[in-house]
Amino acid sequence: MPDGQGRIDGTMSPRVKIQSEPRKELSCPAGAVLGESLLNIGVPLNLYCGGRGVCGKCFIEVVEGNIPEAENQERRLREISNLPEGFRLSCRLQINGDISINIPPASLLPQMPVLVSGKSRPVSLEPILKKIVLDVPAGSPGPQAKAVLSVLDSVWPGLERGLSSDIDGLPVRGSPPSGPSAFTAVVYDERELLAVEPGDTSDRSFGLAVDLGTTTLAVELLDLADGRTIGTAAGLNGQASFGADVVSRISAAFGNPSRLEELRAAVVRSLNDLIGGLLGRTKTSPAAVYEAVLAGNTAMNHLFLGSSVDGLAVSPFEGNFRARPPLPAGGTGLVMNPRGRTYLVPNIGGFVGGDITAGLVASGLDELSGVFLYIDLGTNGEIALKKGEVFAAASTAAGPAFEGMSLSCGMLALPGAIGKASYRDGRFAVETIGALPPKGVCGTGLIDLVAASLEAGLVTPGGKIVDPARRLPVIGTISLTQQDVRELQLAAAAVKTGIRMLLESEGLSVADLDGIFVAGAFGASLDAEKAMKIGLLPRSNPEKLTVVGNASLAGARAFLLSRSERRRGERLARRVRHVALAKGGDFQSQFIDALEFKEWT
Amino acid sequence: MDLTRFQAMSQAVIDGDREAAAALAREALSRGFDAQAAVENGFIPGLQKVGSLWESGEYFLPELLAAAEAMKAAMAVLRPALEAGREAALSLGKVVLGTIEGDIHDIGKNLVGALLSANGFEVVDLGADVKIDRFISAAEETGASIIGLSALLTTTMLGQKRLVEELHSRGIRGKFKVLVGGAPVTQKWADDIGADGYGENALAAVRAAKALTGRE
Repeated sequence: MPDGQGRIDGTMSPRVKIQSEPRKELSCPAGAVLGESLLNIGVPLNLYCGGRGVCGKCFIEVVEGNIPEAENQERRLREISNLPEGFRLSCRLQINGDISINIPPASLLPQMPVLVSGKSRPVSLEPILKKIVLDVPAGSPGPQAKAVLSVLDSVWPGLERGLSSDIDGLPVRGSPPSGPSAFTAVVYDERELLAVEPGDTSDRSFGLAVDLGTTTLAVELLDLADGRTIGTAAGLNGQASFGADVVSRISAAFGNPSRLEELRAAVVRSLNDLIGGLLGRTKTSPAAVYEAVLAGNTAMNHLFLGSSVDGLAVSPFEGNFRARPPLPAGGTGLVMNPRGRTYLVPNIGGFVGGDITAGLVASGLDELSGVFLYIDLGTNGEIALKKGEVFAAASTAAGPAFEGMSLSCGMLALPGAIGKASYRDGRFAVETIGALPPKGVCGTGLIDLVAASLEAGLVTPGGKIVDPARRLPVIGTISLTQQDVRELQLAAAAVKTGIRMLLESEGLSVADLDGIFVAGAFGASLDAEKAMKIGLLPRSNPEKLTVVGNASLAGARAFLLSRSERRRGERLARRVRHVALAKGGDFQSQFIDALEFKEWT
Repeated sequence: MDLTRFQAMSQAVIDGDREAAAALAREALSRGFDAQAAVENGFIPGLQKVGSLWESGEYFLPELLAAAEAMKAAMAVLRPALEAGREAALSLGKVVLGTIEGDIHDIGKNLVGALLSANGFEVVDLGADVKIDRFISAAEETGASIIGLSALLTTTMLGQKRLVEELHSRGIRGKFKVLVGGAPVTQKWADDIGADGYGENALAAVRAAKALTGRE
C-alpha cells in the first residue's frame, strides 16, 4: 500500500523505545518478534516457555504505537494474569512500526542469588592437582628453564609435558640466578605438567566446584592445600531466557548451531559473573585456579561445551558423549588459569547426567551394603537404585511444578516464596523464605499446601478442590487453582511411577529398601512427611530417609578434592545401567494409578 | 425403556464403572430393548456429562479414562445388536492415530484414542514413535478420513508439519483431515502448519474431530 507519510513498507526499521528500566532504544527489522529483539540487546526477559506464547510470563505494556490484535490464547493468558488491554506477550508480538513499551519487573528473570549447600560424607584430601616445589641448585648449566625441567625429570620421571615441551612457553626465562632458587611445578593427575611457576607457590592452589544447574548455578571456591571452602556464590543460569526447563533449552538449540552457541555463551557468562565476583571478594587471582569441576545434567553438560543436543531432542534420547577428558580451561572460557583444566563429571546415560553421578558419590551410595534409592527432584526426576552390585538409574519428566515455575502463583525458591505451610483453625499458616511478605509459592510450599488441604478435606485424594469455585485461597491475593493441584499430581505421579517401575525392574518393593536419599532443587527444606502424605515418596520410616539437598555441588567438591573419589565416581558412572522407563508397556496404567494423592508403600 | 434405566446407564459411564455399564447393556438386550436408544439416550448423555465434569476441573485423567473404558464396554455389547446401517450411522468415521516419530510419549494419545472410540469413531492406533510414511500408508489402507498426530516435545512436533508437507507433495492433501495435539502444540502452531484441527486436550480433540467430519 502506497504511503505518503515517508514510511515505505519494509524499507525502514521500526524503533522500540523502552520507557522502563533498562531505558534503551533499539531498531529491528520489520516483522521481528519483540521478545527476541529484547533478548538480543541483553534484556533478561523471562521467556519461560521458550517463546511459544503459552506461559504468560513475558507480558510487556505497549504505551504507544500501533500493534496487531492479540490472538485468543494470548487474551486468555492476559485475563488469567489480570492485566489490562495494552499488555502483550513480547514473545508473540511482531513489530511493524515504532512503539514505546514498559517492561514490568515481573516479566524479567529474578536476579536474586540463591544460596545452596549440600551434605556430604567427608572425603580424603588428595587433589588431582598437585604443586611440587623444585629446588634448582645454584650454578646449573644452560638456560634456567632447562635447569628447572631437568630437576623435574629427576623428581618425577616420565611426566607428560603437553604444554611445556615448548620451553619458551614456561614462565621461566634467562639464566639461573647465582644462588639456589625455587620453582613450583603444577602437575595434573600425576602425569601431566600444566605449568611452572617461579618461587614456592605451593600454598596458593585453588579449585572450583560447580553445580551446573538448569535453573540455578552454584560455585564454591576451595583451597586445595587444606580442603577448606573459601567462599561460595550462587545465581541463576542465564540460559533461562531460552526457556525454563531442559526440554525447552534443547528445542531452542535443536538443529540450530548459532542458538547452541548463544546458549553456551550464556551459561559461561553467568558462571564467569559468579566466579569473577567470588575471586574478587576473596582476593584470589584467577591464575591460581587450575581446576574447575562441573556437575550438571546431560543437557547442561552438552550446552556448556557447545556440543549439539540434537540426540537428546528425539527418541532414544542419547547425547554425544558420556564422559569427556579434562579440557584445557582456555578453551571453555571460564575465568581461571587458561592452562588449567575444566572437568565435567561424567554422565550416566540418557538424561541421567553428571549431577546424579556427583550426588551418588556425595551420598556414598556405592559403598553402602543393602538396597538404596536415590531420588533427585527437579524438572526431570532422576532416580537411582542400588542393590548389591546392581546399579540402575532412570529419568522421568516431572515438569516444572517442583520448581514452582509453572504454577499460577508459582516462583522459584527465592526470598518471599511460601516454602512451608500448614492448615489450622480454618486457615493456612505459611512461612516464607527470608520471612518476607509472601510473593508466591515454590515447590515445597505447594507440597505443604496440598498435603494440608488433603488432611483438612479441602482437596480430595483424586485432586479435586472441593470448593465449587475450584480455588484454594492461601493468603492475600495468593491462591492455588485447580490447574496448580493438577500440575503437582502429574509431577508426583511421574516420580512415583519411576520409583515403582525401577524397583520392579529389579524385583524389589519399598519394603526391601534400607534407605532413601532425596536430593534436588528443594535443598534441605523438603518436608519428607508431607511428601509421603501426597504420595510423592513412599511411606517409610523417617530414619531411613535422608534429605541431602544439593548433592550435586557436594559431589563436585569431592571430585575436586580427592583423586580416589573421582576415580570412584568415574567407575560408578560406567557401572550404572540406564533404564528407559517410558518404553515399558506398563507405564501408562501405573502412571494413571499414581495420580491419586495417597500414601503408598 | 424407562428414564431410570437410561439414567443408570449414564451414571455407569460417569462413575467409570465398566462392569455396570456392560451389565446394563446386556440387560437392555435381554429384555429386547432398542440398542440404539440405549446408546443415544443412556450411555452418550453420560459421556457428555463426563465432558462437562472434566471442563469444570472436577474430573481428571483417571476419571476420564475410566469413563471412556465404561463406554467402550457398553458399546462392545451393543454394537452387534445395532441394526445394519444403524451401526454405520452411529460411526463417525475412521481415525488413524499415533505419536510422531522420535517421540515415545503416548498417554495423551491413548486418552484421545479412548475418547474418540467412546464417541463413536473407529480408531486405528499406530502406537508411538510412528514414521510419517506409516501414518499415510495406514490412512490410505484403512480409508480413514482423519489422521491424528500427537507430539509431546517441541522438537518432535516438527513432524506434524512434515506430515502435512508430505501429503501435499504426494498430491493427496485433500484426502485426509489432519488433527494435531500434544503438550507443546497450540492453535497457532496448527494454523501455521496448515493442520485442519487442533485439540488442546482429549475432549477438545474429540470436538475437533467431530467438527472435521461435520457431525457436531
